[in-house]
Amino acid sequence: MGYEAKVLAALRNEFGGHAITSEQVRPMTDDASAVAADAPAPSPTDAPEVSGEAKAAPRPGRFADDVPLTARDLRLARLGKRRAAGKPLENPLREGLRLERVPDPATFVLFGATGDLAHRKVVPALFQLWRTNLLPHEFAIVGIGRRPYTDDAFRTELRASLDEFSRVLPIETAVWDEFAGRIRYQLGSFDDPALYDELVVRLDDLDRERGTAGNRLYYLATQPSAFAEIIANLGRVGLDHEQHAGGWRRIVVEKPFGRDLTSAIRLNREVGKVFRESQVYRIDHYLGKETVRNILVFRFGNGIFEPIWHRRYVDHVQITVAESIGVEKRGAFYEEAGASRDFLQNHLMQLLSLVAMEPPATFDAEALRDEKVKVLRAIEPMNPDSVAANVVRGQYGPGWVTAGQVGGYRSEAQVDPESETETYVAAHLFVDDWRWAGVPFYLRAGKRLPKRATEIAIQFKQVPHALFKDSSVDPEANLLALRIQPDEGILLRFAAKVPGLGVDVRAVNMDFTYGSAFSMDSPDAYETLILDALLGDASLFTRADEVEKAWAIVNPIIDAWADAPAPEFPNYAAGSWGPAESDALLARDGRRWRRI
Amino acid sequence: MDGRPGGEVAPPAIAGAPGDPELRWSSQATTIAGIEHDLATFWALPQVNAVVGAPSDRVIAARTSVLNLVVVARSPELGERAASMLSMLTGRHPSRTLILVPTDPDGPDWLRAQVKAYCMVPRAGAPETCAEQIYATAGGSSGRHLGAIVAPLLVHDLPVTLWWPDEPPFGTAVARDLIGMADRLVVDGSSWAGDGLDRLRALAALGGGSLAISDFALMRQARWREAVASVFDRPEFLPYLRSLRRVAVTYGTHGGPDAEARTNIVKPIYHVAWLASRLGLRLVRPLERAGRPGPVRRPTPGAGPEPGRGMRALLAWERGGEVEVVIRPVISGMPGGTTLRVEILAERRGTELRAEVTAEAERVHVRVWEDGVEALERPFVAPRLTDVDLLAQAIEAGGRDLVANGATSMAAALAGPDAGDPA
Repeated sequence: MGYEAKVLAALRNEFGGHAITSEQVRPMTDDASAVAADAPAPSPTDAPEVSGEAKAAPRPGRFADDVPLTARDLRLARLGKRRAAGKPLENPLREGLRLERVPDPATFVLFGATGDLAHRKVVPALFQLWRTNLLPHEFAIVGIGRRPYTDDAFRTELRASLDEFSRVLPIETAVWDEFAGRIRYQLGSFDDPALYDELVVRLDDLDRERGTAGNRLYYLATQPSAFAEIIANLGRVGLDHEQHAGGWRRIVVEKPFGRDLTSAIRLNREVGKVFRESQVYRIDHYLGKETVRNILVFRFGNGIFEPIWHRRYVDHVQITVAESIGVEKRGAFYEEAGASRDFLQNHLMQLLSLVAMEPPATFDAEALRDEKVKVLRAIEPMNPDSVAANVVRGQYGPGWVTAGQVGGYRSEAQVDPESETETYVAAHLFVDDWRWAGVPFYLRAGKRLPKRATEIAIQFKQVPHALFKDSSVDPEANLLALRIQPDEGILLRFAAKVPGLGVDVRAVNMDFTYGSAFSMDSPDAYETLILDALLGDASLFTRADEVEKAWAIVNPIIDAWADAPAPEFPNYAAGSWGPAESDALLARDGRRWRRI
Repeated sequence: MDGRPGGEVAPPAIAGAPGDPELRWSSQATTIAGIEHDLATFWALPQVNAVVGAPSDRVIAARTSVLNLVVVARSPELGERAASMLSMLTGRHPSRTLILVPTDPDGPDWLRAQVKAYCMVPRAGAPETCAEQIYATAGGSSGRHLGAIVAPLLVHDLPVTLWWPDEPPFGTAVARDLIGMADRLVVDGSSWAGDGLDRLRALAALGGGSLAISDFALMRQARWREAVASVFDRPEFLPYLRSLRRVAVTYGTHGGPDAEARTNIVKPIYHVAWLASRLGLRLVRPLERAGRPGPVRRPTPGAGPEPGRGMRALLAWERGGEVEVVIRPVISGMPGGTTLRVEILAERRGTELRAEVTAEAERVHVRVWEDGVEALERPFVAPRLTDVDLLAQAIEAGGRDLVANGATSMAAALAGPDAGDPA
C-alpha cells in the first residue's frame, strides 16, 4: 500500500468508510482547520466524545490527530507508542460466510414510495434482502409520498405489491411482519420545506428507536424533475451531513441522469452542491445484472481471452439491445426520450465500456470506473457529417411481432401521430486508443424488433492463410458471443472438420448456457445494487464524469438530428430487425449484423 | 459379448416440465466396455441430436457435464437413497454420476451396471440438457477395487467429487484409491458411529494437500455461524470478540449409561473449532471428560452445567489469556448430537458480554447480555438445509475452503490424540 493510499485510507476511516479521492486530500498545511474542508462540519451534537489529550489542537504538520505524517510519527505509530490512524475493525467470523461484510444499521429513505418503481422493484428487492438475512436487524424504511397514507395503509399497499411483484412467493407472514414493523410512511410534497424539517425529527427518532446509528440511504425513485428539489432540501436541513462517530449519508439517483449534456452537468452540479461524489450512487440497473457483471469475470478471470482481446485479432464488435415490446404505457416518456436517450446513452455505452476497458489495477469502484471513463474519452464525439454517415435512426410502423399484429409507434397511446422520435438507433463508433484503433464497434438498440435479446458479439478476424482450399465452404471466422439476456450464456464458434474422407470444414458452436451449469437463482439487479449501496460499494454505479462523457458522445447525435430535415418515419416494420439503412451501415464495410 | 440386454430408448418426446428430469435412456451392462458403449449409443441417438425446426420440433439436447460425481454406498438402500437425491440435482448440477455399491466381498467377481440418461429443460424455451447416471453394483474382488471401475468411466478434465455417505473406511486401500482420484471429498461427520472422533481425526489428516473437503456436519451449521457472527457485526460488541473467555456448546443426547460415548459430537465440536480457528486461538488442552462418566440427567431449568458432565478443553490467545471450552450433553428428543445452544462469554475492561444462540425449526435466536442487562434479542428466519441442499452446496463449492479446513483441523486437535495413538 503506497503512502498516499494509506493517507487516503486513513481519511476514509475518519469519514465513516467513505471513498475519498486524491482531489479531496489537501496538501499538508499548518492550519489544521483548513484540512479536509470538503468534509462536512460536524455539528455540536455530532461531535464524538474525545479525551482531553485528543481535544488538544493538532501539532503543525499534521492532518489530524489520528494521522501520523512525519517519519517519526509513522515509526512511533508502528511501535504502538502513538495512536495510529484508526483502523476499521473487521469481524473475523464473517470470513467464509455468505457475506464477508454486512451492511451497517441504516434507515432507507425512499422518495417516491407510492410510485411504480418503488412498488415493482425497490421494495421487492428490499424484502428479498430482508428475508435472506442480508439486511441488518437495525434497519428501517421511511417511505415518502404525496398520498395520504398512514403507516399501516402504506404497509398494506406494499404487501399487495409484494404479492404481485416479489420474485419469491408466497410471502412468509412471519418474515413480512418483521419487515413491516420497520416501515414508516411520511406524507409530504417534495417541494415543501416542512417535509424535510419533519424528516429530520422522524429520522432522529428512528435512530433511537431502531438503533439505525444515523446511517441513511436516500433513494430517489421519483420523476427526474424532482431530483434537484429533493437534494437541495436535504442539504438545507443538514441531512447530507456525515458524522465523525459513524452516521454515513448516501444518495441513490435513478436514471435518466439528465436529458442531454447540459442538463446532466447541471444535475451533477446540483447534486455536488450537497453531496460529495463518494456519497452519490447513480443506478443504471443494467450494471446489476449477473451477466453484465460476468463480462468482467469472463474477461479478467480467464487467461486465454484477454491476450486476443484487441485490434490484432478482433475484426469488429457488435452490441445489440433488442426489445420485442413497444413503448407499452410509457408513450409520453418515450416521446421525450427516444432510443438514443433510453438505450444508447446508458445501457449501450455501459456495455461498450465493459467490453473495451483496460484491466483495472484493482477491483474497487474508482479503479473500475476510471477505466470505463477512459473508454468513453477515447470515442471521438461526432459532427453532423459523421452522424449522417455513422448513425441510423428508425421508427417502427405496423407489423407482426411474436405472432401478433401490432400497430406502429405513431398509433401508440400518448404518442404524437406525427412523432419524429426514434425507436431504433444504430451507430458505428470507434474507440481511438492503442487497443482498439481501427476496430469498429457497431451498436444497435430498438423496440418492436423480432425478439428480446441483449448480446455482445466479438467477431474475430479470418485466419491469415486459407489452408483448406479443397473445402466446399470457407471456414467462418471465430466468434465469441456474450448473451446478456435471455438464454444467458457464452457461445464460441470455431471451425471443425466434417467427418468423412475429404477435408471439409464447417463452423460449429461451443455453447455455454448459465441455465445448464448453474440453476440457482440469480439475484435481481436491484437487490445487487441496493445491497452494494448499503455496503458503500460504488463499483456498479455510474460516476458523474462517466455520465457526462456518455452524454458528450450522444449529445452531438441528438443535436445533428434536430438540425436535419424531418426523418421519413416509420422506416421499419414492427417485427423486423430495423431500417434498411442499418444493414447498409455494416454492408458498406463488407459486414452484416449478426443473426440473433 | 458383454451380456448387455440392450438399451431401452424412451419415446423422443420433449422433456417434461421445466426443471423436471425425464428418463431418456436406460440399459444394463456387465462390463466397463459395455457401459461405455451404451453411453456412446445414447449420445448418438438421432432424437438426442435433433435440431430446432426439425420435424420432431425438438430443441437440441446438450450433453452437459460440469463434474464427475462418484458416490460410494455401503448398501443397496444407501445407493438408492443417494440416487434419489441425485435425481433432484440433475438439472441443477448436470454431471456424470457413478454410484458404486460394493457387495459380497468374498463371492465371485461380477459387475452389474444400470446406465441411465436423464434430460430436462432448465426453463421454458431453453435447450434441454442431458446427463448420465451409472449405478454399478460390484461383487467379489471387483467390489474391493472400486478405483478400477471408476477410473475408466471418469469424464476427463472434469473435476471429481467423491461423496461418501455413511462411514468412509479411511485408511483402507479402497478409500485411498478413490480419494486419490478426487478433487473434493464429501462426507457427513454427524452420521459416523460412536462419538465420531476417530473419523474426524482421519478426515482432518486428509486436508493438508490439494483435496477439498465438504463435511455436511459443518455445512449444516452455517445458520448458527451466521447468527454468532451477527452478534459481532455490532461495532460496540466487536471488541469483545478478542476478549473471549468461555465457549459452551450444549447438545442433545438420549441418555443411558454410555450416552456421551455413544453420541456423535462432531457438530458440537465444530462450533468451537470454527470459532477457535477464526480467532487464531491455540490449543492448550484437548477435550477430556469433565468428571466421572455417568447417566446424563435432564437439565434443571435455570441451572448451570452439571459438575462432572460433558467435556472440557482449554484454548489460549497468542498474546496470553485462556479460553475455557465446555461441550455438555442434555437429554433431548432431538437426534443425538444436535446442537441445542451455543454460549459465548467475553470480558473486557471490567464488563462482561454473554451471547446465546439457540435454534428451533426454521428460526435461530440470538440474545446478548452486557453486564447482565439484555442488550440484543434477535430472531433469524434460517431454514434448515436438507441433504440435497448440502450436496448441491458441496458440488457448487470451488476449490478448497480454507475456513472449513481450519475448522476441521482445529476440531481434530480438540478431539485430541486417538486413544490408540502411542502419544
